[in-house]
Amino acid sequence: MPKKIDAILTQYGRKQDELIPVLQGVQKEYGYISPDSVSMISRYLRISENQIFGVSSFYAQFRFTEPGRHSIKVCLGTACHVQGGATLLDMLERGLAVECGETTPDKRFDLERVACLGCCALSPVVQMDQDIYSRMTVNKLTELLKIYE
Amino acid sequence: MTKEKKLSITIDNRTVEVRPHLTILEAARTHNIYIPSLCAMEHLPSYGACRLCVVEVDGLRGFPTSCTTPVEDGMVIRTDTGEIRTLRQEVLKLLLSEHPASCLFCTEQDECKDYQGTIRKAGVITGCRYCPNDTRCELQQVTERIGLTETSYPVYYRNFPVEKNDPFYDRDYNLCILCGRCVRVCNSVRLNGTLSFKQRGKITTVGPAFDRTHLEAGCEFCGACVTVCPTGALSTKTSKWYGKPDKEVATTCVYCPVGCTLKLQVRKSEVLDVLPDYNSALDHGFICVKGRFAVPEYVHSSFRIPVPQRITPLGYNDISWDEAIAEAAERLAGVKPDSFLMMVSPQLTNEDLFVAQQFARQIIGSDQIGSPLLYDLGADTGPFVNLVSQSSAFDVIDDAEAVLAIGFDSTYDYAPIGIGTKKAAQRGAVLVTINSCDTNLDMLSEMAFTCGTEKWSALVGLLTGASAQGAAPLFPTWKKDIAGIQGIFKKSTRKVIIAGPGLLAAPQRTEIIEKLLKVKEKGGWDIIVAHPYSNLKGMLAMGAFHGIKTGAIINENGQAEGVKGDLSKFDLTKGCTVIYAVGVSDLDSLPDCDYLIYQNALPSESQRRPDLLLPAALFTESSGTVINGEGRILPVNKAVEPYRSAKPDWWILNAIGERIKKGVMKYAQVQSVQKEIAKTIKGFPGVKKRLEFSRIDVKMKTPKGAPKMRKQGQFNYRGIPLEAVVKGMKAIEERIELISGSNRGAI
Ligand code: SF4
Ligand code: SF4
Ligand code: FES
Repeated sequence: MPKKIDAILTQYGRKQDELIPVLQGVQKEYGYISPDSVSMISRYLRISENQIFGVSSFYAQFRFTEPGRHSIKVCLGTACHVQGGATLLDMLERGLAVECGETTPDKRFDLERVACLGCCALSPVVQMDQDIYSRMTVNKLTELLKIYE
Repeated sequence: MTKEKKLSITIDNRTVEVRPHLTILEAARTHNIYIPSLCAMEHLPSYGACRLCVVEVDGLRGFPTSCTTPVEDGMVIRTDTGEIRTLRQEVLKLLLSEHPASCLFCTEQDECKDYQGTIRKAGVITGCRYCPNDTRCELQQVTERIGLTETSYPVYYRNFPVEKNDPFYDRDYNLCILCGRCVRVCNSVRLNGTLSFKQRGKITTVGPAFDRTHLEAGCEFCGACVTVCPTGALSTKTSKWYGKPDKEVATTCVYCPVGCTLKLQVRKSEVLDVLPDYNSALDHGFICVKGRFAVPEYVHSSFRIPVPQRITPLGYNDISWDEAIAEAAERLAGVKPDSFLMMVSPQLTNEDLFVAQQFARQIIGSDQIGSPLLYDLGADTGPFVNLVSQSSAFDVIDDAEAVLAIGFDSTYDYAPIGIGTKKAAQRGAVLVTINSCDTNLDMLSEMAFTCGTEKWSALVGLLTGASAQGAAPLFPTWKKDIAGIQGIFKKSTRKVIIAGPGLLAAPQRTEIIEKLLKVKEKGGWDIIVAHPYSNLKGMLAMGAFHGIKTGAIINENGQAEGVKGDLSKFDLTKGCTVIYAVGVSDLDSLPDCDYLIYQNALPSESQRRPDLLLPAALFTESSGTVINGEGRILPVNKAVEPYRSAKPDWWILNAIGERIKKGVMKYAQVQSVQKEIAKTIKGFPGVKKRLEFSRIDVKMKTPKGAPKMRKQGQFNYRGIPLEAVVKGMKAIEERIELISGSNRGAI
């Protein structure tokens, strides 16, 4: 594992302005930015770990925990919201015992909300990994989760 | 440098001359024109976050912030128009919409104050008198100047948990206005990098990476962030509820040989807090945790010895000074010179040390003057004091091209030297570190050699070119690195070695010291010694050292040959009639004796029980001077009256001395001691320039009975570990233990 991060780092110059590209590179490889990666980046770019965290936590694109195996995105755009998207999210939060934005302890699901997936005619929609499921109900969603191990 | 031309600008219809490269805000301040500001601060880079300092400038659109706009010749500026005032009020209202503000707007403030003075210690700050910063708050002052008396927005309470898990200071980010002063001071001034803004929007806070505590994140606990915070968000644990001090006394820190300026915050007979002096030419306000946070709890410890005490079979009895002096004099009178031992701490002031050696030599007629150095260093004491006597001024780092730091980490001490080194590295000097664990300088170093202390001597020899004998095979993996550094060192002309306290824990310390002195002799290298024996140079100068006379080591015109000392017959095992320990608290290591006098501020932690306890005043309670590591005489100033019956060390020694032999000392005040010292050290204590020290050649074997490499607490003052009386220091010690797993040098 650590070998890989060395390989990523050496693609960039040892300059502070490379921080964002480096972070993107690391996240692409691992799916998230771990404390260990932050420490390696710190040594390489000569920026303190705390400053690196400060910068990266400003951007929504970076995450600091290992992602779950599957991602659930509940659409809360206007149409989906009106059609009950919030109820779906609420049910998922209670059913999986996580808050929106968190990962289940067994690393099975990431739960997130999105603003609009662009298929308002099919609302309410839920995206599981790359697939979109339309006209969702609480019952349909419960069944659906079973497919994703 | 060519002389810079002054610029002429017009502020509020006044035409004034100002230096170039100032911001409008700075220019206004130099002419006493008030512009409200919260995020701008002297010594910090401009940031432009609070928007309160807006002004109007002819030719510039809108309302530029004066703290980020540089002055230009002929600028016409207005700082106080009706429009600006409204704008500032609006900005302030927005700022206060996330800050509990009842202390600012409540109409019953003044009445309330009289009634609720006792109910301040609330867990959560809601504003009002519940804020530790009440009456010292810049936000309160600015709100008053801006004239805001009510707000039209509801207050959004962000409900962040209050952070109390770190030593020394608490953090309540519900009060934070995100001015970024703490972030800038931590990163740009201290060059530490613990603080950063985290997240964004309404959940923005300030802090280290992930959920780490400050301790885990490498915070130095320098307290700079607490000093600059304009609100009550950051507050010192021990003094947060104490309110305003009534005076400030500048003095010199006696915890290490740097000798930083400390601004003691005093109320009545108490030192409440200590602040740095950012205008100090010596330390630039870069004080460390010990100066910032470890003074009040030490000097006001509840364990202080209150009055003289005499041992009895049933424990200690309080006695008067008169009885104590009479008893000591009686036991000491007629004592044979070689059965007397005077043990002095190198952390006493010059005046105390001078009177102590005079006491031994002229009252008792004995040259038996020792110090804890002998126990720590044994036969290496000689080479070590020689190295110290030849150390350079600290500012040699400022224009060094290369720095080699050996056994040195400046996280919790020697901060000005550490920050100077980091600055040097940032401007391009080559920094190389040698240590047995990671250090806080490694990140900026060209190369960090992390290896066991037993290899240091060989490595130092190789890198500096002092000697390469048989060393290369020890470092097969570093062959290329070593060659590279050797090349750089060879090419550079201004080079500095920082010998840190870790050096004292290296088995071949004498060999290393010899190598350092050898390369210094050859030229090109300066040496700075960061050691824990604060006033060691003062001790040598005063002659409070076996075989060295007062002033003998001061090399006024560079003519002296060097001083010879002889400790080869010094015996630390031979029983004595009387031992007099001044500021020395490891009594168990001392030889046997019939009568032991213990003069200190806090009781010793040793098993052995002294016969007489004499309560000494501390450096906040009596005046004097010290000589710092670069040879400067610095003032130690009295800020409060001594605790209970405590007396300055020189006073006690003088009183007993006078009782034994009248007319030898007769010191009524510290000034009379200084006059006496001035007879041998010209101009003392008014000498402004650095005192040059002669080489010192001490003939010695390990004094009999000197245990080698005695392990002790890291930070001691007068023999007492700081962690014994300063609560937060315990956490610091544990952290050091965790990181280094080793002893960073003892005192
Ligand atoms: S105490 Fe010093 S090192 Fe620690 S966060 Fe504050 S400024 Fe930074
Ligand atoms: S903690 Fe204090 S200094 Fe730091 S950003 Fe907040 S208000 Fe400013
Ligand atoms: S002081 Fe200028 S923006 Fe804060």
